[in-house]
Amino acid sequence: MAAEPLIKVENLVKHFVVRLGAFGERGATVYAVDDVNFDIFAGETLSLVGESGCGKSTTGFTLLNLQKATSGKVIFQGENIVSLDEKRMRPYRRELQIVFQDPYSTLNPRMTIGEVVGEPILFHKLATKAELPERVSRLLGDVGLPARFAQRYPHELSGGQRQRVAIARALACQPKFIVCDEAISALDVSVQAQIINLLLDLQEKYGLTYLFIAHDLAVVRHISDRVGVMYLGRLAELATREQLFSNPLHPYTKALLSAVPEADPELEKTRQRQILVGDVPSPLSPPAGCRFHTRCPIAMDKCRAVVPEWREVVTGHHVACHAVDMGTAG
Amino acid sequence: MTITPVNLSSSVADDEPPVSLWRDAWHRLVRNKLAVAGLAVVVLLAFVAVFGPWLTPYDFLTQDLNARNQAPSLAHLFGTDDLGRDVFSRVVYGTRTAFVVAIVVTTIAVAIGVTLGAMAGFFGGLFDRTVMWFTDMTMSVPNLLLVVVINASLKTPITAWMEARYQATLNPFYRETIWVDFLLVFGSMALISWPPYARLVRAQVLSIRGRPYVTAARALGLTNRLILMRYIVPNAIGPLIVSVSAGLGTAMVLESAFSFLGVGVNPPTPSWGNMISDGLRVWQHYPHLLAAPAAVLGLATVAFSFLGDGLNDALNPRGSK
Amino acid sequence: MTAPEIQKPLLDVRGLTIEIETRRGPAVIVDGINLTVGKGETVGVVGESGCGKSLTMLSLVRLLPNKIKVKGGTAEFAGRDLLRMSKSELRQVRGGKIGFVFQDPMTSLNPVMRIGDQLCEPLIYHRSMNKAEARTRAIELLRLVGIPGPEQRITAYPHELSGGMRQRVMIAMGLACDPELLIADEPTTALDVTIQAQIVDLVKDLRKKLNMSVVWITHDLALIAGLVDRVAVLYAGTVVEDAPVGELFARPTHPYTRGLLASIPKLSDERASRLSSIGGTPPEPGRRPKGCPFAPRCALAEAVCHERVPALEPVVGSNGHRVACFVAQRQMMEAA
Ligand SMILES: Nc1ncnc2c1ncn2[C@@H]1O[C@H](COP(=O)(O)OP(=O)(O)OP(=O)(O)O)[C@@H](O)[C@H]1O
Ligand SMILES: Nc1ncnc2c1ncn2[C@@H]1O[C@H](COP(=O)(O)OP(=O)(O)O)[C@@H](O)[C@H]1O
Ligand code: SF4
Ligand code: SF4
Ligand SMILES: [Mg+2]
Ligand SMILES: [Mg+2]
Repeated sequence: MAAEPLIKVENLVKHFVVRLGAFGERGATVYAVDDVNFDIFAGETLSLVGESGCGKSTTGFTLLNLQKATSGKVIFQGENIVSLDEKRMRPYRRELQIVFQDPYSTLNPRMTIGEVVGEPILFHKLATKAELPERVSRLLGDVGLPARFAQRYPHELSGGQRQRVAIARALACQPKFIVCDEAISALDVSVQAQIINLLLDLQEKYGLTYLFIAHDLAVVRHISDRVGVMYLGRLAELATREQLFSNPLHPYTKALLSAVPEADPELEKTRQRQILVGDVPSPLSPPAGCRFHTRCPIAMDKCRAVVPEWREVVTGHHVACHAVDMGTAG
Repeated sequence: MTITPVNLSSSVADDEPPVSLWRDAWHRLVRNKLAVAGLAVVVLLAFVAVFGPWLTPYDFLTQDLNARNQAPSLAHLFGTDDLGRDVFSRVVYGTRTAFVVAIVVTTIAVAIGVTLGAMAGFFGGLFDRTVMWFTDMTMSVPNLLLVVVINASLKTPITAWMEARYQATLNPFYRETIWVDFLLVFGSMALISWPPYARLVRAQVLSIRGRPYVTAARALGLTNRLILMRYIVPNAIGPLIVSVSAGLGTAMVLESAFSFLGVGVNPPTPSWGNMISDGLRVWQHYPHLLAAPAAVLGLATVAFSFLGDGLNDALNPRGSK
Repeated sequence: MTAPEIQKPLLDVRGLTIEIETRRGPAVIVDGINLTVGKGETVGVVGESGCGKSLTMLSLVRLLPNKIKVKGGTAEFAGRDLLRMSKSELRQVRGGKIGFVFQDPMTSLNPVMRIGDQLCEPLIYHRSMNKAEARTRAIELLRLVGIPGPEQRITAYPHELSGGMRQRVMIAMGLACDPELLIADEPTTALDVTIQAQIVDLVKDLRKKLNMSVVWITHDLALIAGLVDRVAVLYAGTVVEDAPVGELFARPTHPYTRGLLASIPKLSDERASRLSSIGGTPPEPGRRPKGCPFAPRCALAEAVCHERVPALEPVVGSNGHRVACFVAQRQMMEAA
């Protein structure tokens, strides 16, 4: 991992200003992503996990400059892309793609599959009109769909097939990097495995880099090289797959892993579970100090006042927790 | 590297042709008997409106003082009025008036409403708030009051200006008061008709703007114009079609109502509304003078409402039970 | 063997068939489901979306949406057929003897009513309590499901609670009248894993305390592994396999169950190894195959599978393990 990262995320912040009250008279800030730092290396799968609302999608969106970052940098090919306006962003758009969760709203219902997949090719002038049908059928073949699907409309396809089309659309402009925002979460179990295999195949074939946003830890463990755990807008821990799953350091990561059920009744009978009390606090008023302190079983006084520093404790293993700093955790 | 093709056995059957949402909606529409009946009546009335002058045996203005207030007969299908004019011909011409007013007014209203609504929804911010404030203001003024005020305040100056032009140019066009009527009717009705379209389109755009396929289009780097034209407008248009169909019917009723009250199209130009108004005065003696225009107006209203309901069911199948 | 009351299951569904009106005519969505739930037993009903889990449960209390009708079968609950009992008898069952918990707590709770009032309603109706008694019981119930400060929370509106809290309220409502059977329809699907763990823990605890039977509907095989006594696997509106939980995970027999289990990533998997997956997708309601519903996706399918529907029959030499598959049955027979 000594190589120069493909994407460098530095102190990324995204706040939303929302209006509250019956007449929208009160302004409030949602701390969706707060001071997040990580690198993404070429060819790897980096996963982001965490509970709903913790800022995973917002990280993905701001990173692609689909939402304006409040502050911070995202360095891609030497350029801070989050500072670019739409026009100067356009050449980078081709290389940075996204696949969404809901297969039913991810495709324009008025366009045929051929148009959906063909549009980015024509727009970015990657092929001529004459070459287009051939390109489209090759892309459909890449995602395991027959060429005749080009004439179909999205509503005639199943959820898994639509998700394949969405992947083909993302591949159409030959990107380097794809954000998969819960790309398999809405699919049936038996279809999920198909799409996971497809993503793995395509990564091998085209050397793709993925930012894989998900909440299913079993899937994340299966496909990731590295995993980042988010809590309430901040990264709690970031490590390689092995480090994170065999030696989690942050108390939240530990609780999260222990909450994941395993498909094994014998194991489940004997397993010691650590069940967190309470809910995730509102991102409108996140707790001071460590944001996890309201639920953390080992919270100390310091945690309520001081934000734990984000540091690399072992090569490649980043964590933000006072207890880890003092060697009292684990 | 091989990618496992999808087993298609249980999804789309190969023998079925691809069906776009539009065609799907059309199939649903033509299966709906009431909607088809409504559509047939609307098409018939439109045909009458366009080819009316060639269909009627008499001119709508020709008076035959020997044949006043005649009951319906073979010579005069709907009878004649107190000036001996053929009521059938006048109803046919009234259809023309109704369609011209409805189409012009709806076109203007849709153009204003769609432009403002789409831009408000797409760009948001201060522009959106200004447009919506303006829309709410317009909607809060009672329709009839607005029209009466416009008529009262503008009719005299416009008529005076036309008369002055006539004196200066001696062009007979400026003596045709019908244009003043139309201008005022178009203007005032369009003014009160656009806000619902603006609201509808804005709401549509707001909801579509956030859909993943629009975000995906942005992620592909497509331009705003392309996104509006290919992703947002085609998906917003379904509810708009329903609303336009209903709006055409409403515009006809409104035109009749205004003409009935004397603030719309004035005699001698026939409108269902002013014919009903005239007929109402003598309905005890000559019921056909009231019945004929009222029946056609009723028919048109019902037809548009059936068509609108049918379109709604066809275009928003999940929205209805 | 001598005491039939002990043997008799609390809920016994036989041959339940449900149809839906479509443009192309009626289509079968639930095709002859057999399901039993014993007293104090927890049964997991597993299946992919659209396989008919929710409709089966809704049909038991006759709450099917318009255009969807029960076409056949019986559903005996404590000896009475739910599908044929009178309206007034049914009302006693709904929210009384059978409690329901739905997937989406936001849309299942009335947004304009305080949660306390929503909790009191069934108590006043089914238990003929007066207002004060119902209130006391409501507070007790909220405490039971682990809501802190129930005396204050009782006046809250649903939107003032978090998703996990709302689901706890839903469970409290399901429990309000001490039901003999609690049907939970994907109660944790909309929740995060840490909250899911809380809810699972709560239900495990409650069923012991209250000695009730539970039907837990889910699409997550891993979730039920540590939660239920027995599992029924649904595919396209039929039960294809039914077994004690340990038996099902140790010896899955139906090709679909095996496929499902194999497609779940496991601890021991190497990174990025390809998962085994089932090709294709489940059939849509109007397009059910003629024979075994799984035949178009089944690697073991034989000629007979496309012709006849396999019945759910006991696996030779097993205890309470039933499977609906020609090939699996034959293989088990040969092995025995
Ligand atoms: N456009 C927006 N306006 C205001 N708040 C927003 C907006 N988008 C996201 N948020 C808030 O920011 C936080 C992070 O949202 P995000 O969608 O990234 O969460 P997530 O981890 O992806 O959750 P999920 O699993 O539910 O998708 C949440 O509290 C959310 O409510
Ligand atoms: N209100 C409804 N109208 C039409 N079809 C429905 C309705 N509810 C359910 N269905 C259909 O019935 C089948 C089974 O649904 P359901 O029991 O809700 O599935 P599950 O709970 O297993 O996800 C699906 O094919 C679904 O599309
Ligand atoms: S910093 Fe303190 S509160 Fe936060 S996770 Fe570590 S120990 Fe817990
Ligand atoms: S009956 Fe035949 S098709 Fe059905 S699961 Fe068994 S082997 Fe497969
Ligand atoms: Mg998200
Ligand atoms: Mg369901």
